[in-house]
Amino acid sequence: MKLALYPGCLMPTEQYAYEMSIRETLPLMGVEIVDLPGFSCCGEPLKSINQMLTLHMSARNLSIADREGIDLLVPCPMCHLALSEAKNILDGNGEMKKRINAKLREEGLEYIGKQRLFHIIDLVHDEIGLDTIRERVKKTLPDLNMAAHYGCHILRPSEMGRPVDSENPRKMEAILLSLGVRSEDYAEKLDCCGGPLLPNHPETSLAKTGQKLQAVSEQGFDGMVLACPWCQKMFDSKQTKAAESVGSRAHVPVLYLTQLMGLAFGIDDAKLGLNLNLSPVDDLGLKGEVE
Amino acid sequence: MSITDMTSMAEAQSDLRSEINKRLERLILGVSDYCYQCAKCTSGCESHKLLELEPHQIVALLKRGLIDEMVNSEIIWTCMSCFKCKERCPQKVPPVDILFALKNLTVLTGKQVPGDYTQMLQSVMSIGYIQDRQTVPTRSGDTVKREDLGLPVLSGLQDPNGFQNIITASAVEKI
Repeated sequence: MKLALYPGCLMPTEQYAYEMSIRETLPLMGVEIVDLPGFSCCGEPLKSINQMLTLHMSARNLSIADREGIDLLVPCPMCHLALSEAKNILDGNGEMKKRINAKLREEGLEYIGKQRLFHIIDLVHDEIGLDTIRERVKKTLPDLNMAAHYGCHILRPSEMGRPVDSENPRKMEAILLSLGVRSEDYAEKLDCCGGPLLPNHPETSLAKTGQKLQAVSEQGFDGMVLACPWCQKMFDSKQTKAAESVGSRAHVPVLYLTQLMGLAFGIDDAKLGLNLNLSPVDDLGLKGEVE
Repeated sequence: MSITDMTSMAEAQSDLRSEINKRLERLILGVSDYCYQCAKCTSGCESHKLLELEPHQIVALLKRGLIDEMVNSEIIWTCMSCFKCKERCPQKVPPVDILFALKNLTVLTGKQVPGDYTQMLQSVMSIGYIQDRQTVPTRSGDTVKREDLGLPVLSGLQDPNGFQNIITASAVEKI
């Protein structure tokens, strides 16, 4: 399976561990990653300023995939929603498609809409399959109970065809189980990380993050697993500040699903960017020799 | 003062109201008129407890055409865009999208954009991304750059000037 990696903004400019672990793990599961030139922001972070701009920017990125006739791997849930929404609007509204294509033509591009979009979770669960995951596992991970956190935009709104169930997502838990990791349910599972408020309400944004970290901590989880660069930025990179903002001292190891997969596959932790996680991931006892 | 207090003396702006409804129809097929104020949106709202956003009130004000009151209020900038309200509305009214439309209207009328949005827009216009490659800390106390990590070179825009012109035109366009 050949997929073009649509990097988005946050992963390639800051959340390097996500990109490293994606590039390490997917080829082991039969996915060839292709890098295309010319991608830009999906436009979603600017939706509050102008939705037309968001639509145009999403469409231009989709049209780059159209030009190459290739499907896209979109690891950022926010980008994944923006691109899905643009497809939905353009495929259902001929007038808008004409209008957007007139803009795209100025860059020599055209939106056709043939590309399929994958996030990491549906790619691994639905396309690659859990049997393949189980076959690739080389290392018995310690007995862990990890809180699964999906990221809002991969869950909702379901009318845009989200890769997982919006109210009772199970795919990440199933992937974790195939790695030998438990993931119990918790009441706050579907709650937001607070990230989208960072540009204009930074304190509240951190309080939101802190509340969820506290909930995860109090319920005795060993850590959190997620698949969104924005959520990782909040729960991992900003963990200390977030916990302080709700008057607690969080000590929650947070890592990407693809990092945990890589470790179970026996990949060296340096190649998975594990030293870039600022939360106490060493506590999980994940490093060590392959058995 | 809550947003409802401000509306007691207000006049309805039916033109703007239909403009926003038209926009909603074009982009997402949602119409505010179907709202029957069950407040399911507000009961699940991520911004409700922390910032007192009440999505059902936003929809009620839109139904009455009280647009200026919302455009002039800070409250529309408190949405976390978690999409729970849209997902759970029994009438398929999307408060989150109404809020996006109202924020867009605020920007269009020349009011100051709060926070770092302007900075993000400027960055997107010049390099295509909301920020350039950052130097990040490691857990052991060092710092690293993208280039140090064995990742491929991030291929940016092929024609930055052309991109800037086209995007600028889009950024000021109405739906």
